[in-house]
Amino acid sequence: MQAKKIYVRDLGLADGKIDLQMELVAGKEGLGKEITVGDVNRPGLGLAGFFDFFAYDRIQIFGLGETAFMRRLTAGQKEEVFEKFFSFDVLCCVFTHNEHPDEMFVGFANRYRVPTFVTRHRTTRFISLMTHVVEEFFSPTIVMHGTLVDIYGIGMLLLGKSGVGKSETALELIERGHRLVADDMVEVKKIDESLLMGSGSEIIRHHMEIRGLGIINARDVFGIRSIRNRKRIEMVALLEEWKEDGEYDRLGIDEKRYTILDLEVPFITVPVRPGRNIPVIIETAALNQRLKKMGVFSARELDNRIQNWMRTEGERSND
Amino acid sequence: MTEREVLVRSDAGVHARPAMMFVREAMKYPCEVYLIKDNVEANGKSIMSVLGLAITSGSRLIVRARGEDEEGAVARLASLIENDFKN
Repeated sequence: MQAKKIYVRDLGLADGKIDLQMELVAGKEGLGKEITVGDVNRPGLGLAGFFDFFAYDRIQIFGLGETAFMRRLTAGQKEEVFEKFFSFDVLCCVFTHNEHPDEMFVGFANRYRVPTFVTRHRTTRFISLMTHVVEEFFSPTIVMHGTLVDIYGIGMLLLGKSGVGKSETALELIERGHRLVADDMVEVKKIDESLLMGSGSEIIRHHMEIRGLGIINARDVFGIRSIRNRKRIEMVALLEEWKEDGEYDRLGIDEKRYTILDLEVPFITVPVRPGRNIPVIIETAALNQRLKKMGVFSARELDNRIQNWMRTEGERSND
Repeated sequence: MTEREVLVRSDAGVHARPAMMFVREAMKYPCEVYLIKDNVEANGKSIMSVLGLAITSGSRLIVRARGEDEEGAVARLASLIENDFKN
């Protein structure tokens, strides 16, 4: 498992998925501070002079109440309370409702290197968005050697040894109009204990190595429609060299499962040998998976039909 | 499993060419080869995977191998990195 660190500066970036709409107004030098606890703190009590149990290592949220309270303090009182407030190693401050901190606060924040942001969001909205962003960072992550392709909306993770043809399969799938998420190195995150989100490493995103060609950028070669940045992993396909004595699934009645970060995903093993069109098989597996999600299970339905037919055969032969 | 920690000294870090040299050497061994940086494990036989680690000068890496001739692979690959990919 990967020990990933999140720094205050990451709050502003947040994977492009959620825009926290934060603008830095002070304390730029503290952006490299690491966030160790994903929680927030409302510093109201502190501002009123009560600093027992002050959770300085959390993200301090200044809502309308806090800003209104600070406005009522005299310059002297403010100086005293800020002195106390910033004497702790405060992680960072966020002012919501687009309320800007006053000059004295900015001065203190700069001096003590406490990054201070202003956001347009309401307080509760901001807290829920930010919790989501931070939790994603803290969620269990694993890097897998495989290729992730979005096939008709099903996130298909291709696994298999180097050289078995994962990238080539992905290439053909892209040609058929499907989208590449990541080749070779897939970062998998468990979100909300219920789903697995896959994405590529940022620097090599959408690049592929095709033996004989070298490195290509799928985004440049095939265009924007051929890629996406992240996709939920809904199925795993293991490509392996065809073994004569290998026992491959011939019915598909029992669903096999592959476990990633303690979550189970439908799993198939696809034997590879010259002449087998692997991309078509993978594409069909994705379609079949979609059908199953919608409650249609081809293998079981055929089995039911056959069993029904056999049950009623006696009646038919009497006719 | 055999592994060894190495320090990357080459100024330019592990960019495309050094990555290719590493992978090419790794492919010569039958065992599985991994390159680990900051707990992220890359497949040592895949160029994209190795490049994805963004190995800069001064990075500490672990070369790990599992399987047939793992000692030979680790010795060869670790020395390749330590000698700035000059064989």
